[in-house]
Amino acid sequence: MTSRQGRFLRRVAAMAAKEVLHIRRDPRTLYIALALPVIMLLLLGFGLSFDIERIPLVVADGDRSAASRELARAVFGSRDFAAVAGSDARAAQTELRRGQAMAALVIPAGFARELDAGRDSPVQLLVDGSDGNTARQIMGKIDAILRAHGGSRAGFADSPPLAVKVSTLWNPASRSALFMVPGVAAYLLAIAAVLLTALTIAAEWERGSMEQLFASPVGRLEIVLGKLLPYLALGMLQLLLVISLGTTVFDVPIHGSLPMIFVAGLLFLTGMLGQGLLVSVLARNQLVATQAGALSSLVPSLLLSGMLVPIENMPWILQALTVVVPARYLVHALRTLMLKGGGFQVIALDLLALLAFAVVILALATLRFKRRLA
Amino acid sequence: MNAIEAQELTRDFGATRALDGLSFAVPRGQLFGLVGADGAGKTTAIRALAGLIALDGGRALVAGRDVASGGSLVRESLGLVPQQSSLYPDLSVAENLRFFARLFCLPKQDFRERSARLLGITRLEPFAGRRADALSGGMYKKLALACALLHRPEVLLLDEPTVGVDPVSRRELWALLHEFVAEGMTVLLSTPYMDEAERCHRVALVHEGRLLLEGEPGALLDDFARSPACRQTAPSFETLFLARLEQADRERERGDA
Ligand SMILES: Nc1ncnc2c1ncn2[C@@H]1O[C@H](COP(=O)(O)OP(=O)(O)OP(=O)(O)O)[C@@H](O)[C@H]1O
Ligand SMILES: [Mg+2]
Repeated sequence: MTSRQGRFLRRVAAMAAKEVLHIRRDPRTLYIALALPVIMLLLLGFGLSFDIERIPLVVADGDRSAASRELARAVFGSRDFAAVAGSDARAAQTELRRGQAMAALVIPAGFARELDAGRDSPVQLLVDGSDGNTARQIMGKIDAILRAHGGSRAGFADSPPLAVKVSTLWNPASRSALFMVPGVAAYLLAIAAVLLTALTIAAEWERGSMEQLFASPVGRLEIVLGKLLPYLALGMLQLLLVISLGTTVFDVPIHGSLPMIFVAGLLFLTGMLGQGLLVSVLARNQLVATQAGALSSLVPSLLLSGMLVPIENMPWILQALTVVVPARYLVHALRTLMLKGGGFQVIALDLLALLAFAVVILALATLRFKRRLA
Repeated sequence: MNAIEAQELTRDFGATRALDGLSFAVPRGQLFGLVGADGAGKTTAIRALAGLIALDGGRALVAGRDVASGGSLVRESLGLVPQQSSLYPDLSVAENLRFFARLFCLPKQDFRERSARLLGITRLEPFAGRRADALSGGMYKKLALACALLHRPEVLLLDEPTVGVDPVSRRELWALLHEFVAEGMTVLLSTPYMDEAERCHRVALVHEGRLLLEGEPGALLDDFARSPACRQTAPSFETLFLARLEQADRERERGDA
């Protein structure tokens, strides 16, 4: 091949092959790419997903009917809740305040009558909201139990976040692992991808090899693409690993299209690798690139992706910020595909956003990548 | 026709004027030496000729093309050995060679022939499998030279190729350069060693980004021997250049006062 495109491809391949050699010579890269996510997924997955068991709960039964006792039995029938003695709503509140109970289920008088009449018979759930994560779990679990028990509707004392509703809808047992694994996957991919590429261009500057590259006919886009491809392959391997681990160790189902999961992952990774390139093009030094890379991927994908805090619960300014955080779209796409099911149609918008981010960031990285030493 | 032309090259780094209207020309097939003290502007000049830095003024031409706008056509006619290490330390000698050959899209057969020849004349053949960071300083320089020669550049730019090289390798390196020049290559090299000047076809003495002296070594020495500034019967380049540098410093002091 001697045509222009032929030379373009050959130089991209030359850069990529060289990068593969670097990866093989320095196993730390492989460690960052493959071992680190597995270790972190296990740590985070277990740490964050440990469903709280035997939550002290007091039932204030104001109805004292067969129906109300049956409901209480259903609640304590699961291992999730442990009974705390209590009588009426007032006593229940005292227990809550003292910290003896973390939640109180108040069944009003007339509960059975309403139920028999076929009307809605609301029960009240009081939750100690001082630990938001636990409170969220309790609400989810009670909601799940009530649903299972007979479609009774739980009325919450403090208005619950919308996400709880959503999560319990598609995550019937309200297991947090199901919710966390897709988020953790996005988070790990983001960090590893940005870090890996942030290091590689900065390394060319530090070694002095950039001078040789710039003096040769290799173009900026050829350098960028040649650097990108090997890490993209590594990133896809990482995604495969994280997903297999999620489905085997954490029993996360995949209701939706598996190929679509990889398409979303590919677009996300491309954007993250581009972000790493941009960081290293600007930093020109491995230490700064590492720190800027880690920070710029870690913070947004941890806090602004909807992985820990539902986006709907954020102040509007943060909500607005999440629009440019690609992890947000990947988390949404993965949760949708894994927990709800579906294919391209349900995540089309996410894919579009991920694609847009990838294109813009790669264009920026290539443009900012000046073919000048000084 | 001139293979290299530096026209009024000017470049500031903050308050430092690294290049101050530096001009010279190198005809095709000549070996041209840039001599100057540390910080004189040699590296900056070579980088300007390779199109690696932006200029505040002037123009650099290689093989008749402006390096700022010549793109890959210029770069394909250029070979560069930078002053600092610029190869991949974790790649072997052979891998470094192969990488640069691929960047220049060298056909496989050409690569095999040329790398074998270059490994032979640089006597790096026994070390082909050795990592670049395990080479001695001299061997490393020769590898950098081999990498820059693979694509048979018309113009070869060498930034202090003999620094840190033992005397034997240094003599070999000069012999190699003369061979390339005899084959029609144009070579520009920089050196801090005044005594290397006489091995070039032409030399230029650079000081604070300006040209102090330029010409054929023999003619420069003859002129100097006849001048009143010379107090020796058989002056060396060292005394010539040092005398010229002192004169430049005196002129500047007078200018400042
Ligand atoms: N990237 C840069 N940023 C700031 N100053 C620079 C830069 N490059 C060179 N300089 C300054 O420009 C001047 C000329 O430097 P240059 O490297 O060209 O000298 P040199 O002749 O190659 O010296 P040496 O023999 O020590 O290599 C010096 O004062 C140097 O400090
Ligand atoms: Mg220098």
